[in-house]
Amino acid sequence: MRRNHVLALARGTFLETVRDRVFYLVAFFGFVMMSSTTILSPLTIGAQGKIVSDVGLAAMTLLGLLVVVFVGSGMVRKELDKGTITTILSKPIGRREYLLGKFLGLNLTMGAMLAVMSVMFLLMLLLSPGAFSLRFGVAFYLAFLELSVVTAIVVFFSTCVSPVLAAVFTLGAFVAGHLSESMRDFGQLQQGFVGQKVATVVYYLLPNLEVFNVRGSVVHGDPVTAAHVALATLYGICWTALLLLLAGAVFSRKELRG
Amino acid sequence: MSRQVLVENIPPAPARAASSVGAPEAGARPAAEPALRVVDLTKSFRSGFARREIRGIEGVSFTVARGEVFALLGHNGAGKTTTIGCLLDLVRPERGQVTLLGRDHRDRASRARVGYLPERPYFFDYLTGRELLEFYADLLDVDRRERTGRIDEVLRQVDMLPDAGRRLNKYSKGMLQRLGLAQALLGDPELLILDEPMSGLDPLGRREVRSLLQDLKKQGRTILLSSHIVPDVEQLADAVGILRDGRLVLQQRLGATADACSYRVRAGAPAAVVRAAAVPAWALAGVDATAAGDATDLAAADPRQLRELLDACHGAGLPVVSVEAQRTGLEDLFLATHHRGGEA
Repeated sequence: MRRNHVLALARGTFLETVRDRVFYLVAFFGFVMMSSTTILSPLTIGAQGKIVSDVGLAAMTLLGLLVVVFVGSGMVRKELDKGTITTILSKPIGRREYLLGKFLGLNLTMGAMLAVMSVMFLLMLLLSPGAFSLRFGVAFYLAFLELSVVTAIVVFFSTCVSPVLAAVFTLGAFVAGHLSESMRDFGQLQQGFVGQKVATVVYYLLPNLEVFNVRGSVVHGDPVTAAHVALATLYGICWTALLLLLAGAVFSRKELRG
Repeated sequence: MSRQVLVENIPPAPARAASSVGAPEAGARPAAEPALRVVDLTKSFRSGFARREIRGIEGVSFTVARGEVFALLGHNGAGKTTTIGCLLDLVRPERGQVTLLGRDHRDRASRARVGYLPERPYFFDYLTGRELLEFYADLLDVDRRERTGRIDEVLRQVDMLPDAGRRLNKYSKGMLQRLGLAQALLGDPELLILDEPMSGLDPLGRREVRSLLQDLKKQGRTILLSSHIVPDVEQLADAVGILRDGRLVLQQRLGATADACSYRVRAGAPAAVVRAAAVPAWALAGVDATAAGDATDLAAADPRQLRELLDACHGAGLPVVSVEAQRTGLEDLFLATHHRGGEA
């Protein structure tokens, strides 16, 4: 695998997605933040900062998710249908290099969006007395990790199913990933052996995205330990790598009819 | 099904000087080694819910010598694009072998000196022409110090230098086609694989691309092109392979089709006089002895017969008014091949 090939593909994907009006969503985020401050201020006496930061962090994750799912789900398929991929893979490029480049490019787009939204978010917090804190950095970082795992999920699905199905499956995996802990706990309460085992299997088959959700702790000033951040980082990297390996295995066997 | 292979190998053109641009050198190879060797390539596809098998290509074999322009000719759906897909490892054949510039086609290094233009080139909408070529230059490991010069050179070759700063979603189809050729030329390829390079171009664009391909041919580059436009192939190719329903039914040098001429000799005498003169009987086939008029048309099937007929006319004192070559062109060959298939 050649690093310069992967970086070139990542750069190309980043430029293409960024220029494809994706940053309109960032403007929408600004609008959400402004609106939430204006509308919620009179309703939340004394807790304005917490409400605004909670809404802001949730909106960042949601908009990041939308970009990843709707750009990512059609990314490989669009290039397959239009034939862009054939000119790329007619060069001395491996298919795994191609997928990794696409993943990194989309991740870079998502990261840039998160970075811009984070800055806007912190600026808005300056308007709410006592709400500004640098500990929000941990929440931004873990949101980035979570969306990186989601990016790997969408890249995997985009290699094997249609864009619509890839989007539906990825959104499903996102929701299930946030509920997997609850599903496991629910399974443990079941009397039957099968129910317990199914819940456990589902838990291990899906990434547990709640690991990355520290929004509540950060907003309410509860501590987020360095050990948790380190473990979440390791967990995110492992899932991302596993999903990309699976995507690479599927994609290397794919017929690319020009 | 009949399968006529008239010529397998064409003598190689003079080798081109090696260039410093591009990814890893493919290594020294004997000059006689063909640029492309395809043996028994077979591919079928599964389609639909019932996974019905559709034949793509079957038993396709051909060889393209270095410096040669080889055209794959066939109607839409004949298997040209599938064949090209197999050569570039985009489509995985069930059977067969492909050697690109002396290497197995599955070895990605074999594609380092290959330029490819797909049938409908489509690129990233939001990049400019120059950015797109920079992207491909990175994929081809073009030396950073030579990159700008190389990009300018290929843009100039396809007459796109003034438009290089515009985004691709503002390009016309013809401009995209020319940019597609530019990216194919970027790595200074030894072998160019062009899938319908003239498709979608207006007459002026077609003439420009044809002229560019003729220049590339003069430079000694090997070109494999697919087309269903016979006059384009006739003007460019040294050899042609005709595909029908996934099978290569004919391989032939184009020189051979050019030689395949018949001749009409007009003698300045009435038919009755000509028939009475000592001209060969085969020349009189179709001559009506009772026809009125001062001239009679005689037929010669090849240059040898033409010489014999002219000698006979001269010997018999018959004046020759005109000699007209009636060429059996590639189009006739192409149509004949397809008619034979229709009758089979």
